[in-house]
Amino acid sequence: METGRFTQTDLAKYPFLKETAKLVKQLGLKIEEVANPDMAVILNRAEERVREAILSISVGKKREANVEIPSFPVALMLVIATKNSFIKRRYALAEAKQAFSDMQAESSEKILAIARDFDWNIELNRDFAVPLEFAVSFADYLRNTTHLRDKKWKLVNRLLANGKVYLNKQDVTRLLQEEVQRRIEKRLEATELPALPEKIVEIATRLLELAKESIGQEEMEGFPKVVTQSAFPPCIVALYEAASKGRHLSHIGRFTLTSFLVNIGMSPEKVAELFKSFSDYNERLTRYQIEHIAGERGSRTRYTPPQCVTLQTHGVCVNPDALCRRVRHPLTYYKRKQRQFSSSLPKAS
Amino acid sequence: MASRDFVYKKFSEFYSNPSTVTPQLSMIGQRELGFLLFKERVMVRHKSFESMSSLKRFLSETVPSDVYHSCAYYENPEAEMSKKGWLGADLVFDIDADHIPTPCDKVHDEWTCTNSKCGFSGKGITPEACPICGGQKFETKTWACELCLEAAREETAKLIDILEKDFGFSHQEMRVFFSGHRGYHVQIEKDAVKTLDAMARKEIVDYVSGIGLSILEDEAKGKTQKRRRSTPFHLHNFGWHKRLKLGLQSFIMRATKDDLKNVGIKGNYAAFLENREVLLKRCIEENRWDSVRGIGVGTWRKLAKYVQSLEAAKIDTVVTTDIHRLIRMSGTLHGKTGLLKVEFPAKSLEDFDPLREAVAFKEGTARVSVSEAPEFRLGDNTLGPYKNQVVELPTAAAVLLICKGRAEVAQ
Ligand code: SF4
Ligand SMILES: [Zn+2]
Ligand SMILES: [Zn+2]
Repeated sequence: METGRFTQTDLAKYPFLKETAKLVKQLGLKIEEVANPDMAVILNRAEERVREAILSISVGKKREANVEIPSFPVALMLVIATKNSFIKRRYALAEAKQAFSDMQAESSEKILAIARDFDWNIELNRDFAVPLEFAVSFADYLRNTTHLRDKKWKLVNRLLANGKVYLNKQDVTRLLQEEVQRRIEKRLEATELPALPEKIVEIATRLLELAKESIGQEEMEGFPKVVTQSAFPPCIVALYEAASKGRHLSHIGRFTLTSFLVNIGMSPEKVAELFKSFSDYNERLTRYQIEHIAGERGSRTRYTPPQCVTLQTHGVCVNPDALCRRVRHPLTYYKRKQRQFSSSLPKAS
Repeated sequence: MASRDFVYKKFSEFYSNPSTVTPQLSMIGQRELGFLLFKERVMVRHKSFESMSSLKRFLSETVPSDVYHSCAYYENPEAEMSKKGWLGADLVFDIDADHIPTPCDKVHDEWTCTNSKCGFSGKGITPEACPICGGQKFETKTWACELCLEAAREETAKLIDILEKDFGFSHQEMRVFFSGHRGYHVQIEKDAVKTLDAMARKEIVDYVSGIGLSILEDEAKGKTQKRRRSTPFHLHNFGWHKRLKLGLQSFIMRATKDDLKNVGIKGNYAAFLENREVLLKRCIEENRWDSVRGIGVGTWRKLAKYVQSLEAAKIDTVVTTDIHRLIRMSGTLHGKTGLLKVEFPAKSLEDFDPLREAVAFKEGTARVSVSEAPEFRLGDNTLGPYKNQVVELPTAAAVLLICKGRAEVAQ
C-alpha cells in the first residue's frame, strides 16, 4: 500500500502518523532520558501540549521538528500518567482539532496520503459531473460519521454512487479529525503503566490539578452523577415506564432507553435491573448488550441515543413538549431541563 | 399428531438423503448455529460445527424443523453471548411480505390477540399492539400467495438496484435467496462491510429506506415566513436525488386528478395536468422548481415525499441492524412451509419462480383432509380452493397445508 511521502515538517505537524512513530523509534527515545536536563525543551513542549488542551482545546505553538516530533509521544506519556479519562479525551480532541485546522492548507495529494495512513479507501474524484474533490468508500465514511449529530452527515443526504461518497476537502478533513481522535484515544488506553520517572509523575500531578481547577470536578466527570428523573424528555419517560412495567419494547426503544441512561451516568448494573421484569429477560445477554452500548465491550465506542428525527420516524417520540421543539436530541433536552432545575432551586446551605 | 409425524418423516427423509441435503454456509467454523427442534418445539442455540459434513450428520440425526446461522463471525461461537468474541458480521437484508401492505393481505392474513381476556382478531397486517387491550402477542394465520411474493420481489428489485448503483456492490457480491416462506434475503459477505457496527448499519437502513432526507424536511420548520419560502429545493443527479427525480418524472407523466388528490395536493390540478411537458422540462430537467405558476416548492416537496415512499425498499429494519442476528440457512427447510430457502443469482430475480425452485418434496402424494385453503400453485400444479374435504395431493402441497395448519393427514 502506498502511503505517500511525508516530509519532516509534515511529521511535525501530524505527529500521530505511523511514519512519525517509526521516526521516534529510530531516535531511540528513552523514558529515563526524559528526566535528563538535555531533554528539558522536549519535556516543556510536551507539558505545554497537554496544558493547552486542558485550558483551551488547542496544543500551543509549533516548534522545530526536532522538538515537535518527540514531544508528542512524551505528551502521550504525561496524559497516561494522569490516569484521568477527561484529560485523555480532551487531549485527543485538541490534537485532532489542530490537525483539522492544519489540513485546511494542504494539497489534495497530502490529504490523500494522510487518509491512507488511516487505511482509507479514498481517491481523487475524476468525474467532472460532480463538483467535489474526493471520493471515499462508504464504509470509511460511515465509520467516522455515525456519531456526528448534524443531519448533513446522514448518508442518505450524501452523494453516494458506486460505493463512493463524494466529499469536499472540508468534509474529508472533518472525518479525518475523527480518525485522529480515535487513534490517539486508543494510544492513551494503555492501562499497564511502565515505571515512570519521578519527573513525569510530578508533571502529571500538576496537570491533573490544573484540570480540576479550570474545569471543575463535576464537569470533568461528564454528566453529574445524580440522575434527575424529572428531567427526562417525554420519549424517555414513556420508555422508562414501559420498561419498569415489563412491557415489550421495540429494538430501537430498548436501545434508546439504554443508551440514554448510560449516558446520563446510570451504571450498567442499574440499567440491567430495569429490564429484569421483561419476559424474555436474560441476565447475561442484557448485561452484555448494555455494556456494549456503554462502550465497555466490543467496538468500545459509547453509543448515544438516536436523534429526535430518528425517534420520530420510529414512533419512539411521544407527546413532545415545548422544550422538545428547541432540541434535536433527547440528551440535550435532559441537560437543559436539568440546568433549569438547578438554577431555579434555592441555593440553601 | 399423525400429521406432525408425517411432516417429521418427510423432513427426516430429506435430511438423510445426501443428494437432497445441501446446506450452504461460508466460514462455518466461526458461526453460531441454532435449531428449532421438531418435537420439543424449543430453540437450541450456541452450536458450532467444524465442517459441513459434521453439520449434515447432525441434521440427519436431529431433524430440526428450522436451521439458522448467525450473520456474525465469532472467535468462540459456542460460548455464551458475552464471551463469544464478535469478529464481524455479514450485511443482511430481509424482505418479507409481513411488512409490505398488499391488496390481498386482508383476504388471506388473520391475527388474533393471544391475551386470554381479549382474543380480538382482525385481517391484514398484524398490528404492533392490539387495538383493544394493547397486548403485543398474536397468533397469526398467513398465506404466501403469488401476489404477496410478487410484492416482495419488487421490493427486492429496488433494494438490489440501490445496493448496486449507490453502494457499488456487484451482482456477484450480493447473495440473493428466497426465504422459503414469504420473502427474500440479500446477504453481502465482503470484508469492507463485515466490521460495520450497528449504528453504521442503521445508516445503511435509513439510506435504503430514504429516511432522513433533508430535502423532504417540512418547510414549516423554517422559523420565519421569509425563510420558509426561500428554503431551496434542488435535486442533483446522484443517489436519492436522482431517484426522486425519476420518480417525479414518471408521476407527472401518469398522474390523474385522483392521484393528485391522494397525494394531498389541493386546488391547482389544472396547473398540473395541462403543463406536464413544461413541468418535466423546466422543473425536473432544469431544476427551476418554481417556474410554473400555481405549483410552488411546497407542492414539489409533498410530491417528492410521496415518491420517496415508492422508491424506498421496504426492508425489515431490525434484521439489518442486529449484528448478532440468526438467519435461516440456505438449502434447509422452512418449518412453516416445507419449502427450501434457495439461493439464486441476483441477475435472474425477474425470472426466478420461488414456488417451483423451493419445492423440496418432489415425489409421491398424500391424502389429507383440508379445512380451508385458497387456490394455490406449487411448481406446475395449481390446486384448490378446498374447504372441508379430503384430497390426494402431491407431497409438497400436503406438507405445505399441514405446516400452515390448514390440513391433517386423512385417516
Ligand atoms: S422531541 Fe426528541 S426529546 Fe422530545 S419526546 Fe420527541 S424524541 Fe424525545
Ligand atoms: Zn387484545
Ligand atoms: Zn397475498
